Amino acid sequence: MGQLTPALAGGAAASPPRRIDTGKVLSLGALLAPAVLLLAVGLLWPFLMMLRMSFLDRFPDPTGLTLEFYTAVLTDTYFLRIIGRTFALGLVVTAITAVVAYPVAWYLARSRSRWKHLVFLGVISPLMVSIIVRTIGWTIILGNEGFINAMLTSLGIIDTPLRLMQSFWSVVAGMVHILIPFMVLSIASVLGKIDPSYAEAATVMGANPVRTFLKVTLPLSVQGIAAGSVIVFCLTVGAYVTPVMLGRGQVNVLAVTIHEQMVVLVDWPTGAVVAMVLTAGTMVVLTLYGLFLRRHAQR
Amino acid sequence: MSQPNAAAPPAARLPTSERVLNAYVIAVLVFLALPVFIVVPLAFSDDVSLSFPPRGFSLRWFANILERPEFGRAFALSAAIAIFATIVALTAGTLAALGLVRHRFPGRDATVTFFMTPLIFPAIVLGAALALMLSPLGLLRSFWGLALAHVVLTFPYVLRTALATLSEIDRALAEAAYTLGANRWKTFRHVTLPLMRPGLLAGATFALIVSFDEFTISMFLVGPGMMTLPLEMYNYAEFSLDPTIAAISTILLIITSVAIIVIEKLVGLGKQFS
Repeated sequence: MGQLTPALAGGAAASPPRRIDTGKVLSLGALLAPAVLLLAVGLLWPFLMMLRMSFLDRFPDPTGLTLEFYTAVLTDTYFLRIIGRTFALGLVVTAITAVVAYPVAWYLARSRSRWKHLVFLGVISPLMVSIIVRTIGWTIILGNEGFINAMLTSLGIIDTPLRLMQSFWSVVAGMVHILIPFMVLSIASVLGKIDPSYAEAATVMGANPVRTFLKVTLPLSVQGIAAGSVIVFCLTVGAYVTPVMLGRGQVNVLAVTIHEQMVVLVDWPTGAVVAMVLTAGTMVVLTLYGLFLRRHAQR
Repeated sequence: MSQPNAAAPPAARLPTSERVLNAYVIAVLVFLALPVFIVVPLAFSDDVSLSFPPRGFSLRWFANILERPEFGRAFALSAAIAIFATIVALTAGTLAALGLVRHRFPGRDATVTFFMTPLIFPAIVLGAALALMLSPLGLLRSFWGLALAHVVLTFPYVLRTALATLSEIDRALAEAAYTLGANRWKTFRHVTLPLMRPGLLAGATFALIVSFDEFTISMFLVGPGMMTLPLEMYNYAEFSLDPTIAAISTILLIITSVAIIVIEKLVGLGKQFS
């Protein structure tokens, strides 16, 4: 997203300046029209319908607009707890993913090993395995009669199986697993663009490797971490399958609640309010990212 | 001895630290591959429950797939949607990328951000909102409703790779063709498009995979007789946790691996992203 901008600006610098003419504007319009139409019909319009739904006093057959459902959701400890849990899950998963992914991204960006290509395929391979399969895999690994419990029991470490499933941390494990590729790719693309001579300069000046990393390489790669974090956070807070299948009703997050309100309870206005809370959380993160990019560009 | 030039390894690449890094990378790869290593052997288990380690050897779960026509139907629907969505997203994405790279205009960055929104927009909200819109139009539980959702979802993946490839293509080549008398269409057809092909193919691969694996949005749009494969598998797993799901997964894994290897040989998928 934001990272693309410098590359695009660089491409334009090579082209000769031209004056604005109607033909150009028309051709630009024709090129962008299908995409704009697509997103207007498939994203913007349904979103606006959902936004309106969140203010309706009842559905179907609304008689007016009201803030009643917002007040109801935002003062109910049941919903507040779910909101807190969802965003906590987002933060925890983002932090763990960033820490786990960074060295792998470093390897992909810097290594000259002939295995590098295979490592890259290995990193993106989870994206090619069905989400249901991955999640069932985790159910088997973490279940009461699962892989980990069977191993620990046979080694005599535990007598009764540990309750690894149906917990916040089992959902964290499943989410981190799914989202590592996104974080690795974001960080690696930025690390790959850093001129290695900066780090060399620091080393020549007498900085030890740790200091060189903390003072030179890490700050230069912050943009990749930020871009990856936005994607990972947004995908985590909106996730449905992993919390349902690994939480088994014990880890209620916003996505599960939205589905429950709309499909099971058929309470569309409440569901729409919860959906708006989730969307607003995503927008806040995006705004923070935008501010960060602007400050980063000024430096 | 390493040569004393600018490419000399920095201090952080000392042999010991490199060994530690290699071991770490291997550990992460094992973690990433873990669920697959667990699921595939279970497809051949003789046990009726999905527990590890597998007991005995049997191919009956593969036979079970064939006995249940709903899986074949769901596979066909998922494949049709994925192919349709990829073609439409590829067309719209390539055109938009040409517009965004070749033209300067106010609000360009905002347009790129808007085009990328489906990537980070909560899928659960988009699914519910699309259901809300499609329901009065009678398009709920229809191919076209699902197709629209999947085009929107795959569009950013295609646009991103198209933008990245296009901004790296030397514009001078297209201008040379144009100067030499080729019209805009010929320039695009014979110069720009062939140069973009590897990037587009990589984007299309991602779009196909993303669409084929989509669950959350489709959950609101499917219905009896109009079920995508991930949802059919989920529904099956809700009631019977026997190794049939593992068998389907194994087949899917073989299909994707073959596809990835073919594309990797053709254009080098890794090169497109690293």
